[in-house]
Amino acid sequence: MAKKILVVDDEPDIRESVKMILTKNGYNVITADNGDQCLQKAKQENPDLILLDIMMPGTPVSEVVKQIKDIKIAFMSVVRISDARKRGLTSQENIVDFFQKPFNVSDLIDRVEIILNEE
Amino acid sequence: MEYGGIVLLDEDKYNISKIIFSKINRKLTLLFIIVAVIAPSFAIYYFYNLSVTLSDNITPQTTLLLQTITASIIILIAVDAGVIGFFVSKSISKPIKKLYTATKKLEEGDYDIKVEIKTGDEIQRLAEAFNRTTAALSRLEQERKELDTAKTDFLSITSHELRSPMTPMKAQLQMMQEGYFGKLTKKQKDSLNIITRNADRLDKIIVDFLEISRIEAARLKFNFKEIDPSEIVKETVKFMDGFAKEKNIKLKVDLDDLPNIEADPDRISQVLRNLINNAIKFSEKKSKIEISARLKEDYIEFCVKDYGCGLTHENQIRIFEPFYQVEGSQRRRHGGTGLGLAICRGIVESQKGKIWVESKIDKGSRFTFTIPLKPVRKIEPIKILFSRKGLIERKIKEEFKTVLGPLGVNEFEELKKQNSLDKNDLIKYIDNLKDNHIITDERGIYFKDHISEIYGDKKGVINEKKDTSENVFQDEVIKRN
Repeated sequence: MAKKILVVDDEPDIRESVKMILTKNGYNVITADNGDQCLQKAKQENPDLILLDIMMPGTPVSEVVKQIKDIKIAFMSVVRISDARKRGLTSQENIVDFFQKPFNVSDLIDRVEIILNEE
Repeated sequence: MEYGGIVLLDEDKYNISKIIFSKINRKLTLLFIIVAVIAPSFAIYYFYNLSVTLSDNITPQTTLLLQTITASIIILIAVDAGVIGFFVSKSISKPIKKLYTATKKLEEGDYDIKVEIKTGDEIQRLAEAFNRTTAALSRLEQERKELDTAKTDFLSITSHELRSPMTPMKAQLQMMQEGYFGKLTKKQKDSLNIITRNADRLDKIIVDFLEISRIEAARLKFNFKEIDPSEIVKETVKFMDGFAKEKNIKLKVDLDDLPNIEADPDRISQVLRNLINNAIKFSEKKSKIEISARLKEDYIEFCVKDYGCGLTHENQIRIFEPFYQVEGSQRRRHGGTGLGLAICRGIVESQKGKIWVESKIDKGSRFTFTIPLKPVRKIEPIKILFSRKGLIERKIKEEFKTVLGPLGVNEFEELKKQNSLDKNDLIKYIDNLKDNHIITDERGIYFKDHISEIYGDKKGVINEKKDTSENVFQDEVIKRN
């Protein structure tokens, strides 16, 4: 069965683009456009991975991730984040990767595949 | 003349009666009248008494007495003069000195300075005018700061806003290129390649803009750790070797035995990469580039030397400006954002280091930068968007004013029109002034020294506060030790 990925970004075009890429590569993609919706959909749909934009209006992402313990999360950020801060952000065990926007399509797919294949 | 000045300031009109009846003059006149009246009054009183008691016989003793009296009168006048001096000093010299001190402070940039003078005359009015001027300056300075912040914020916000649309744009482009939406014809592929290449270039410029906004706002991030500088040089050179090989250029590394330092390896590598990249761009095929690192006192000096086309004097100064394009160069062809060296300067100066270039046309260029052994953790904003040319021209103009007076401004403008503000032109011009006895030799040397200093002949002078930056740099290190 296709793995399920939840894409969370407040920008519709980014959401749509990521969804297109992942769908094309055989994933089942659902989307959310803010932190609260993300929590709700994560509960309902129980995805295998959440691609989460790090800066969104509404509930801060740092609060959102605290409530998700058993689903893998990968951050996406347009702001360049130093390695030190990255380490701080990925301290939670289920936070597994960090994507710099604008991302490279094939790199995104490769990394998503790696994340979902390691169990 | 001084009083004239004050009157002029106040009344706009030169008026001789106002000068004569100015309060200072009235004060002075009053004091003199007192002296002039008091001293002779005493004398007359004495002589009157004498003439009453010794009216009939004038003896030698009397003569002596009269002489003594004359002497006393002179002493009295002297004492009076002292008293006058005291009052003059109290009402004129002291307030003027106060004003002078305040002006000095103002010159140093203390715009909140106020002078308290309660003499009830023109000097007090001058002080009040001075206070109003400083208040106006203070307001302007405040506005300037606000503008500066607004500029930095605008730059930062704009860059972020510009970067967001890049993500879906690039993603869609890549999807098309990789055939997500069907097979492409050759023409479509070529077209997409052009779009992608330019989207990448735009993205690079935006990233560099963000970096500049961080440097200007002192928000540049550094990750300090203990590192071996030799390793950074070796790794960077290894990374750049691929690019050098494309032009058959040899990268030669020459390293001292260097101690470990505490610094951000990524930032040092970033600066080195930039310099090596430039060196490759401006070198002929099959030439070489030398990269070295040496330990100097309390900093490490990194050097990148090429045997390429070299830079003119003006270019050597201006090359660190954002988007500055060396005339006749083919930077556009070489790609790059035009912000690389400005960012290098920002990174180096954020660490209180220096970056400079020495170069000769057709012989090559040598870029050098320094990094302290101990990191500077308190990052200060570095103004890299300002043109150094404007700064240099302003300074030269000031020197012209100092040496040649009001005439100097005209001379400066004339030279500027002829585009003769290059260092060598100016030295020739000063020699000319000396030869024609327009200025003394001594003045000429002073003039030349100052021009050379402005052009940063003392090596490594990139910043405006050139002389202090060296001290600051050392102080910083000493303090941390």
